[in-house]
Amino acid sequence: MKQNQFRISVENLTKSYGDAPAVDDLSFVVQPGRVTGFLGPNGAGKSTTMKILLGLASATSGRATIGGLTYGELPDPTGTVGAAVESDAFHPGRSGRNHLRILADATGTPAERVDEVLELVELSHAANRHAGAYSLGMKQRLALGAALLCDPPVLVLDEPGNGLDPQGIRTLRALLRERAAQGNTVLVSSHLLGEVEQLADDVVVVNQGRLVTQGPLDELRQSASRVRTPAPDQLRITLEGAGGVVEAEDAETLVVRSMSLDEIGESAFNAGIALHELSHHTDSLEDRFFAWTGEDDEPGTQRRSYELASHR
Amino acid sequence: MNWLRIVRAELRKLTSTTMPLVFFIVLVVIGAATATAVAFGTDMDGSKTFLSTAADQQSLMAFAANALVIAGLFGAIAVSREYGHGTVVLTFLTTPHRSQAVLSQFAAAFVAGSMLGLVGAGISAGSVAVGLTATEYGFMLSVADLLRVLVASALAGAAGAVLGAGIGALVRNTGGAVTGTILLLIIVPPLAVQMVSETASWVPNTLTNVVSGIDNAVGAGAAILALALWAILPAGIGLVSVNRRDVV
Repeated sequence: MKQNQFRISVENLTKSYGDAPAVDDLSFVVQPGRVTGFLGPNGAGKSTTMKILLGLASATSGRATIGGLTYGELPDPTGTVGAAVESDAFHPGRSGRNHLRILADATGTPAERVDEVLELVELSHAANRHAGAYSLGMKQRLALGAALLCDPPVLVLDEPGNGLDPQGIRTLRALLRERAAQGNTVLVSSHLLGEVEQLADDVVVVNQGRLVTQGPLDELRQSASRVRTPAPDQLRITLEGAGGVVEAEDAETLVVRSMSLDEIGESAFNAGIALHELSHHTDSLEDRFFAWTGEDDEPGTQRRSYELASHR
Repeated sequence: MNWLRIVRAELRKLTSTTMPLVFFIVLVVIGAATATAVAFGTDMDGSKTFLSTAADQQSLMAFAANALVIAGLFGAIAVSREYGHGTVVLTFLTTPHRSQAVLSQFAAAFVAGSMLGLVGAGISAGSVAVGLTATEYGFMLSVADLLRVLVASALAGAAGAVLGAGIGALVRNTGGAVTGTILLLIIVPPLAVQMVSETASWVPNTLTNVVSGIDNAVGAGAAILALALWAILPAGIGLVSVNRRDVV
């Protein structure tokens, strides 16, 4: 695998509309060779961040760069970054083929590449139909085709799985994984948690414009331990005193974060508390997502929509 | 080289929808109306003196004023719909330097508008010629005068399309851009003349007539320059606005 040099770096990015910050001092890094999921509730600032990254919107302060340069500074922007930020950005009276030919004209891409990409995104059969007659899934494929036209080492995709059927999702997943495996940089925003769970190596989670957490998905999901004890109240006090973040799972079981298994075991031993179980606790991405964004505070409202989304 | 590629892409945008066909049909309808008026229309006294001289026929064929308005609407719709459909995102992704992207849009509008004006004037001249076959008068225009009518219409079409494109880039909404173009080209000039009579020589209708050779309120060079200013001012404002605002 040959990794490219195009690391996406967002540094102290802020975007305000009037007094309301859409993005608030946001910093994160997207590494080449990995698929990074960009997660957050609606209005969390994901799309705004992507638009600033792509030079479509200006930042109030901070920077978003690709390989150390802003999008506008890149010597060959479309040859470097393939982007799909608006799933419905097509003239309804223009054919899918012509949509891509316009992009090919502007970028100096050979016309044959248009047909190759149409084949790749499985749209050859509908290439001469007006985009206005396309289903949402077909529009997503066309947007993906536009992003892939110049075979760029960086992909920035906003909700690319939205509207795709299961076969389309599988194809998208395989394609993005293949791109990452080739050393390319892939940033994908999504609210389809189940999809991100299967797709992403790393996640960046934002809420209300701020960074909630970022890192390798496996580590983030396993960053908790389950402890079963006949003295949960006493153990909770002990572990919180040692810097742990403790939640009760049931009457005898606690979920502990910010402490290793060894630290929990030693703290319990030193306090004379018996443990009946001490193990790694792996949350689903959905559980972690709601814990990160704090949306469990309003059960039955936002969570329900994400549960539906995650099971599509 | 980059400029040529981007302008070519913009021209493909303009020609890859049914919009040019719709505007061509409008030109044909106007041509048919002109031919009918020439063939069957009369003056108040029942005569056909309105087409009895070369100057009369040149007035009938002069299409520049129409070209200015029609191409203005074409430019306004073409650019504002880019914002409406979101295809402008692709434009600014391929050309992140916004001035270059917008100037390419204007250049494509200039080319398309001049073609629209030229075709419109050609249809108009052809329609007059066809209508004249049903009258006792022949086609009296010299080649030079005919060429002047055609070139004037092409210039007016180019100016109108750039003006409309500028308003489209400024307003971003198709209804608003069309309204703005009509206001600027049709509603505001007569009001301005009513308020300040000296402006009569510099309103679009007079200027296009001067360029077409059917009015001499100002010199032809001054008229072309003034017509260009009518286009450049809204285009410049549109360009500044695109540079200052977020794309989406």
